[in-house]
Amino acid sequence: MDYSNLRRQAASMKKGLFDQGHLDEQFRQVEDLQDEASPNFVEEVAVLFFKDSGRLISNLEQALEKYPRDFNRWDAYMQQLKGSCSSIGASRMKSECMSFKDNCGKGNVEGCMGCLQKLKREHAILRQKLESYFQLLRQAGPTGAATRPVM
Amino acid sequence: MAPPEEDQFPVGMKVLVVDDDPTCLAVLNRMLVQCRYDATTCSRATVALSMLRENRGGFDVIISDVHMPDMDGFRLLELVGLELDLPVIMMSADSSTNAVMKGIKHGACDYLIKPVRMEELKNIWQHVVRKKFSGNKEHEHSGSLDDTDRTRPTNNDNEYASSANDGADDSWKSQKKKRDKEDDDSELESGDPSNSSKKPRVVWSVELHQQFVNAVNHLGIDKAVPKKILELMNVPGLTRENVASHLQKFRLYLKRIAQHHAGMANPYGVPASSAQMASLGGLDFQTLAASGQIPPQALAALQDELLGRPANSLVLPARDQSSLRLAAIKGNKPHGEREIAFGQPLYKCQNNSYGAFPQSSPAAGRMPSFSGWPNNKLGMTDPTSTLGNVNNSQNSNIVLHELQQQPDTMLSGTLHTLDVKPSGIVMPSQSLNTFAASEGLSHNQNPLIMPSQSSGFLTSIPPSMKADSVLPTSQSPNSLLGGIDLINQASTSQPFISSHGGNLPGLMNRNSNVIPSQGMSNFQTGNNLYLVNQNSMGLGSKPQGVLKTESTDSLSQSYGYGSNPMDSGLLSSQSKNAQFGFLHSPNDVTGGWSSLQNMDNYRNTVGPSHPVSSSSSFQSSNAALGKLPDQGRGKNLGFVGKGTCIPNRFAVDEIESPTNSLSHSIGSSGDIPDMYGFSGQM
Repeated sequence: MDYSNLRRQAASMKKGLFDQGHLDEQFRQVEDLQDEASPNFVEEVAVLFFKDSGRLISNLEQALEKYPRDFNRWDAYMQQLKGSCSSIGASRMKSECMSFKDNCGKGNVEGCMGCLQKLKREHAILRQKLESYFQLLRQAGPTGAATRPVM
Repeated sequence: MAPPEEDQFPVGMKVLVVDDDPTCLAVLNRMLVQCRYDATTCSRATVALSMLRENRGGFDVIISDVHMPDMDGFRLLELVGLELDLPVIMMSADSSTNAVMKGIKHGACDYLIKPVRMEELKNIWQHVVRKKFSGNKEHEHSGSLDDTDRTRPTNNDNEYASSANDGADDSWKSQKKKRDKEDDDSELESGDPSNSSKKPRVVWSVELHQQFVNAVNHLGIDKAVPKKILELMNVPGLTRENVASHLQKFRLYLKRIAQHHAGMANPYGVPASSAQMASLGGLDFQTLAASGQIPPQALAALQDELLGRPANSLVLPARDQSSLRLAAIKGNKPHGEREIAFGQPLYKCQNNSYGAFPQSSPAAGRMPSFSGWPNNKLGMTDPTSTLGNVNNSQNSNIVLHELQQQPDTMLSGTLHTLDVKPSGIVMPSQSLNTFAASEGLSHNQNPLIMPSQSSGFLTSIPPSMKADSVLPTSQSPNSLLGGIDLINQASTSQPFISSHGGNLPGLMNRNSNVIPSQGMSNFQTGNNLYLVNQNSMGLGSKPQGVLKTESTDSLSQSYGYGSNPMDSGLLSSQSKNAQFGFLHSPNDVTGGWSSLQNMDNYRNTVGPSHPVSSSSSFQSSNAALGKLPDQGRGKNLGFVGKGTCIPNRFAVDEIESPTNSLSHSIGSSGDIPDMYGFSGQM
C-alpha cells in the first residue's frame, strides 16, 4: 500500500481544512499533544467534541423554542459551545458562535436563528471532513497517525 | 502517593481542573501532563469542592471554568479561596474585559482565555509559589498572634479598662503591645520565623476578624486600606499583606452576600416581632437594620449559600452588601442549622472572639418582650438597663460581624454567639441556632450595621440613641450587626436590646432594649461573644462591629450579678463592636461612650481593641466584670500561626457552646468553613 501517498492525501486534506478556515492553530496545539503515550489523542478529542457539541446544539435549539427571546439564556448556552469549539480549533463554528452571541446582545431573534442554522451546517461539514481525515490517517498506518503530517 | 517532587518543582505540581466541557478538559489534561504536572480533572464543581475539602493538601492549584451548570465558577473560586486559600485560575472563552475584571476581583490568581495554550499552563506554577510565599510571610508575622490571643487573660482587661477612655487608647495600645510582645516572644508557634518554606497562614480567628471588621467599619468600607486597617487593628505580628488579602476576601464576601441576597427571596419566615422585619423582604438592609431584625432566615440563607448548602429561604435584603453580610452573619437564619453557621461559632466560642460579632442584634425579631421593640429595640430608652440586653445585641452584632467577615463560615460562627443569653433572658441555648428561631430578628438589634456607612458611626452615635432599633442604616455601619443581632435575638426571647439602641459605637447599644435582666443572661452564656451588642436590637446605632464575645463574658458576669453598672458600660463597649466587625478600632469604641468608662472591661471585649487576642477580648472583659472565665474561646481566636491549618479560615467551628449542634449541622468542621480556624484546630 502506498502509505506515503495516503499520508500525503491526509496532509493535503488537513491543509485544506486549515485553508478554508475550518480549523485554526489550536488544532495544531491539540495535535502536538499526541504522542506515544496518547497515539490517538486527536481523534479522541474530536469524537468527544462532536458528541458534546451535538448535544449542546440540540439543547440550544430547544432553548430557542422553549424560551423565546431569552437572550441571556441563549447566550449562556452558546458560551459553552463556543468554549468547546475554541478548545479543538473549530474555527468556523467558533465564528458562528460569536455571531450568535452578538445577535443575542442585540436582541435579534432572526439573527440568532440564522446563526444557529449556519452553525449546524458548519458542524456537520467539519464532522464529515474530520472523519474522512482520520480515516485516511488510519489507513495510512500507525506511522502516519502518529507523526504530524507536513502541512 | 509518591512524595511531591519538591525539589523538581514545578514538576509534579498538583493541579485540579474543573470544567463541564469535556473537550476542553481533555485538552487541558493532556497539556498539563505534558507540562509534567500531576493533573486531575473534574467536570462538576460540586464534586471538585468536595474533593478539595476532603483532601486539603491534595492540590496546589485549581483551574476552573467560569460558566458551569452546577455552580458558578466565581462561587467556587470564592469558596476555595476562603476555605482553602489555594490559588485559583479562572478560565473562559469570554475574553471581555468585564469578565476578566470580575475574575480578578473575585480573587482569581489569573484568568485564562480559551483556548488555553501550553505556554500559559507552563507558567501557572508561579501562582502557587507566590501564594505560598506570601502565606509564609504572613505566618511569620502573625505567628505570635495566636498566642497572644489565647493567653490574653483578663489582665488585659485591667489594662484596657484603664485605657478604655478615649484618651486612653494610646496607653492601652501600648499596654497591649507590650503584652503582645511578650506573648509573641514566648510563643511563636512555628518557632522559626525565618523559616519560609511553609508557614502557616494567619488564622483569622473570630476576634481577629472582629478587630478587622471594626477597623474597616471605622474607616468605612470604601476607604479601608490595608495599611490603615492594620494600624487600627494593632495586632502584633500581623502584616499589611495579611490584612490586604483578608480584606480582599472580605470584600468578595460582601459582594457575594449582596448578590446572594439580591437573588434570594426574603423569606424571613420568622415573624419579626416588629413590623420591620417584614420589610426585610425588601432587601433593604437598612430597613432591616433599622428594624433591628435581620431575619434569621436571611442569615441562614446566607450561610447556606456560603457553605454551599441550599439556602433556606434566607432572604437577606440585598440592599447593601455589607449589610447583607452582616445579616448573614448574624445568622438570621431561622433555621437552627443555619444559624449556627454564623452564630454558632460565636456561641460556642463563647470565649471566642466572636465577640467580634456585634451581636448586637440577635434575632431581630427576638425581642419579644419588647413588643415595641423595633423602636426601642435598642432599648434606647434605658441605656443602663440595656445592659442586659446589650448582650444580646452584642452577640448578634458580633455575629454579624463575624459573618461579614467570612462569607461562609461567618454565618456559622455568628450564630453561636448569639446565644449568649443573659441570665435573665430566656434564650434557649440553642438560640443560636435560632437565629432563625428567634423569630425573626425581631430584635434586629441591629440587623446589620452597615459599617460601610459611616466609619464614624460609632463615635457619632449619641448615647441617646434613640431607639433606633434598626440599625441606623445610615449611621451605623453596624448594620452588619444587624445580622448578628438576630442571632441573639433568636435565641432569647428577650429583647436584645442592646442597650444602646444603636449608639453604641461599640455596640453597646444601650438602647434600652436591653433586656434588663434578661439581657444579661444572654451574655453570660459565656459566650461573651455577644458582646454586648445591646444594640443588637437594631442597634443600628452602632453596634458596630461585633463586640466580641468577650464582652459577653464580662457582661454575663455582670448580668449574672445582677445589675452591674458596668453592664451598661459593657454594653456600650460591646455595642461598639457590635458592628459586625465593622467596629472601628477598639479604641474608638471606647472613646465613644462615656459609659464605657465603666466598662473598661468590656472595652476589651470590644474586641478589636485588643489585638491581643481575640480570645482575650472576651476575657478581658471579664476582668472588669470579674473576669469572666476564659471560655477557652481564646483558642479559637485566631490561631495565628498555628500552622494550620485551618484551611478555612473562616470556619468557626470550634465553638463549644451549646449551639454546637448548630455548628455541627453545618457540617462539622469539614464543611463549615472555619473562619477562625477553630475547627478543631485549636
